[in-house]
Amino acid sequence: MIRQGKVIVFPGAPLFQVIGLIFLAFCATATVRAAEEVRSGKQVYDASCGACHTAGVLQAPRLGNQEDWSAREQQGLELLLAHALKGFKNMPAKGGNPTIKDEEIKNAVVYMLVSSGFEQYAEKPATEEASRKKTDTASAEKQASVKKTLASSVNQFNRLMKSSSEWNLPPSKDGIHDSQNPGTLLLQEPRVAFDALSKSKSGNRVDWVKALQAGEISPRYERLNDDAKPVVMDLNIVREVKGSMPDVVYPHKQHTEWLDCSNCHPAIFIPQKGANQISMASILLGQKCGVCHGKVAFPVSECRRCHSKQKAAATEANNQTN
Amino acid sequence: MLKSCKHIVFFLSLLATSAMVSAEYGDVLINNYSDAAGMRPVVFPHWFHRIRFRCKVCHADLGFKMEAGGNQINMLKIIDGEYCGACHNGEVAWSVENCDVCHTGKAGQPTQVHQSTASKLTTTTKRKETESEQ
Repeated sequence: MIRQGKVIVFPGAPLFQVIGLIFLAFCATATVRAAEEVRSGKQVYDASCGACHTAGVLQAPRLGNQEDWSAREQQGLELLLAHALKGFKNMPAKGGNPTIKDEEIKNAVVYMLVSSGFEQYAEKPATEEASRKKTDTASAEKQASVKKTLASSVNQFNRLMKSSSEWNLPPSKDGIHDSQNPGTLLLQEPRVAFDALSKSKSGNRVDWVKALQAGEISPRYERLNDDAKPVVMDLNIVREVKGSMPDVVYPHKQHTEWLDCSNCHPAIFIPQKGANQISMASILLGQKCGVCHGKVAFPVSECRRCHSKQKAAATEANNQTN
Repeated sequence: MLKSCKHIVFFLSLLATSAMVSAEYGDVLINNYSDAAGMRPVVFPHWFHRIRFRCKVCHADLGFKMEAGGNQINMLKIIDGEYCGACHNGEVAWSVENCDVCHTGKAGQPTQVHQSTASKLTTTTKRKETESEQ
């Protein structure tokens, strides 16, 4: 209405109207086009599928892992596509996002197959129409994707936190092994070894204590004897800490499953109540608990695994407020 | 202007290097003598060994100190059955002739426990020092 009013005031009204109409028409086609645009397989994968298919969550076949895909690939693209569209086992229909178009799902499945070593699928464009559109918008898409990668590397949720695809890399890609060395290629890949073990959110991404308790691993207690049993001591030591952090509960049980008394006593900890001064500063620098925690046992970022006992005062205060 | 550019380039190169190293948590790089002897340094994968042995076997029975580079290990001791040689003797695990399965590290890296809190803290301090030098 306002636009019309304004236009009427000017003497060259018809010209402005025409320009306005052309502009509106242009906007409308642009919007329709954006809505019709079919995303590439990689775009769909990055937005949705990657959440599970990168790390292999709930046994999802992992991108780039031909072994995971080979049996599935043999069943044929049509079946894989049907599973992706309608859901299969742990995978919800369309990966749990019903707004993804069928065509986009197909692109994503093809992208995962091609990236996992089945390049025969690469030559077939998803559909003629999609491929035509692709060429139409190739340059625009390229620009957008460059922008997107820039944005995602700089503005991800936590720049310092590794994404799951960066965990447990094979030795030849981890940056410390010499990939030119033939021996490097003989080494087991961590992901393969960790596949069946209880997961955690830090360190090796393996909960070693759980893995041992659940019998997922059975490491020897003696060098040559498979049957030697550890001398387990079940005694919790509570250390009251300053400040507002919960008190520390030190369980001898989990430690003696792995270690001998002489590993800690008396060199690191004097076995006497009140004889050990421990601070987070010394732990961070690799002393006291930090001799193992922060190097090989679970890292110091897991505050509450040690600071696990709520202070008596805090419990009372909570009870009063409740 | 040039100085700030330099800083940016330096910062980016730091980011690149830190992103490149994604060693497994607890991997120990041992370079006490390797570089000087013209061998690749050793990468000891803690994770691989703890699947098979409890800490006690190496750190109590075999006398490995819990400190990266704290054990003066050389091939003579290993062949004599000390340290790694207690198992890597062709009986419990493969023997010493497989040089390039232990000596797998890129040359020129310092002895350290990878991904450890202490190494991250020390690296930060070192970065600052080099930055101020520039």
